[in-house]
Amino acid sequence: MRLSFSGVSKTFPSGRGRVGALRDVDLAVGEGEFFVLLGPSGCGKSTVLNLAAGLVRPTSGEIRFGDRVVASPDRKIFVPPPERNVAMVFQSYALYPHLDVFENIAFPLRVAGAKKPGIDRVVTEAARTLGIGDLLRVRPAELSGGQRQRVAIARAIVRKPALFLLDEPLSNLDAGFRASTRVELKRLQRELGITTVYVTHDQTEAMSLGDRIALLRDGRIEQTGTPRDLYERPESPFAATFIGQAPMNLLDVSVLEEGGEFRVRLGEMELTLPPDQARNVRTLGSRALLLGIRPEDVRIGAGTSANRVAGTVSAVESLGREELVHVLAGGSTVSVFSRGASFREGDAVTIDIPMEAAHFFRNDGAEGG
Amino acid sequence: MSEDRQIRILYVAGALGFMAFSLGPILYMALTAASRRPDFLSRASGLEFTLAHFIAVAGTPSLHFLDNLRNSIVVSGCASALCVAVAAPAAYAIARLRLPGRAFFLLCVLAVSMFPPVSLVSYLFKVMGALDWINTYRALVLPYTAWILPLSLWILTGYFAQVPVDLDRAALVDGCSGLGVLRKVVIPVAAPGIFSTALLAFILAFNEFLFALMLTTDHAARTVPVGIALFEGLHGEIPWGVVMAAATLTTVPVVLLTLVFQRRIVQGLTRGAVKG
Repeated sequence: MRLSFSGVSKTFPSGRGRVGALRDVDLAVGEGEFFVLLGPSGCGKSTVLNLAAGLVRPTSGEIRFGDRVVASPDRKIFVPPPERNVAMVFQSYALYPHLDVFENIAFPLRVAGAKKPGIDRVVTEAARTLGIGDLLRVRPAELSGGQRQRVAIARAIVRKPALFLLDEPLSNLDAGFRASTRVELKRLQRELGITTVYVTHDQTEAMSLGDRIALLRDGRIEQTGTPRDLYERPESPFAATFIGQAPMNLLDVSVLEEGGEFRVRLGEMELTLPPDQARNVRTLGSRALLLGIRPEDVRIGAGTSANRVAGTVSAVESLGREELVHVLAGGSTVSVFSRGASFREGDAVTIDIPMEAAHFFRNDGAEGG
Repeated sequence: MSEDRQIRILYVAGALGFMAFSLGPILYMALTAASRRPDFLSRASGLEFTLAHFIAVAGTPSLHFLDNLRNSIVVSGCASALCVAVAAPAAYAIARLRLPGRAFFLLCVLAVSMFPPVSLVSYLFKVMGALDWINTYRALVLPYTAWILPLSLWILTGYFAQVPVDLDRAALVDGCSGLGVLRKVVIPVAAPGIFSTALLAFILAFNEFLFALMLTTDHAARTVPVGIALFEGLHGEIPWGVVMAAATLTTVPVVLLTLVFQRRIVQGLTRGAVKG
């Protein structure tokens, strides 16, 4: 089932008047798609989920399940959660503490009035899929975090929902377990083919799970696209710094134009732009720009291109396989991934900023963090 | 002596002292009931064990003790059930909905419960007289419910507020109606709180004296506290042994109820609902 939001806004009443949680959000999640809502805490991503589930009503705009309008304040339409056939996994798991695992998983079926033999079969099947078949008579209080999470997922899938909503389901698991559950979740979603909306603040999760990602910030969608789009073509400094293993370097540069050739000035250095980047810079139409370059694209110590910058190592973070080296160059700090060679604080180095891999943004002070 | 040991001794001594203070009167009551003469502490009489007083209480039809006990249990049970039935949905609404002036409403409810019963009893007597309800169960059940309801509402609001909101939301998404959420999830999860509230309501109603004295006239509706107070010996003297035996028997239902529900009350049912 497709899910679409058009022009959806949500404001909440509060002590300081009405607070906007979402502003004019447009979304289209395709049939069977694994769609991730990514953003820092308080950006409104959980509100999107609650709107889809019907737990909150939009202030304006329209939400559709396929062609069916499920919420539209203008047309006075609101379909309450029990009639939406969605399933939700909460960050807190929200298992019913007075029921054992079997009854927790069977709960949506019992509410729907399913027959007993059917319930037994479906619950057993779901429990087996998630590897909790031997825990059916246990109460949630006796389960570990990972087991609880599986029960929550089993409860969500038994009903064959039209839409599967997950609200940071992995955030309460330890790191190692999180990675393996991530893989499993992705596989499960593929097998079931249920349209899924997944909320997270963790860009690694978003990148590895999502068919597409919507990046949210302050109640607005900053950018929507495949993980690759967001990584390779960030549309804003915020998107650039939010996505990526280490945030993209953003350097203040000024643009110089001489006889049709574009160069950017970074501190004392001047770097020449290749023709396609020159076109990008021209369309931005501003002299003061932000040059974005990913730490994995910068080379340190070696390189003989014209765009070499001298600098000093200011800090080194060891990440095991590689090091994240922070280099003070041209008045800014540039972080660089380095493999093999080892650096120490104070080392004089040169860094190579390949202009083909650079991104340019208008420097309007709206830097992301 | 180590600090741990000192703390332990103080702890045990404190607990024993408190138990002696609380249970002393009850022990005295039970001993008086089981002693042939009430002044069992004096050297002259001494403690002489007998069950005669208990047999007298239970077996003398003119005392109507068993009638009174039945009245007490019926009246307190009805009042308690009615209190919880009304207070539970109300408390859920107060705990969950963003009602304007919620705190003010709760304070008003509390203020209502602060009226001293003695200021109401004469009016109640007139009302019940006009309704021709004097000496009926409903003449007691309704005032008791009104009197205990505010307290029940406060206690239940606290318990419901502790039930994680995510459970409501999960139940809604899983297909429950608003009332279904309350019936299938919130009430079962808050069951220990509901049981303790019901028990408290029962005990309050069971011990009530003033309304029961004014609004009943004989064993058709008279409750135990009034019944005991009105015991009189043959020649006007106070029959201490019988009074104490009746009082001892009266504690039995309450103690039984507490024991039965104790496990349900203590059970930490909300554990494991959400993380942690």
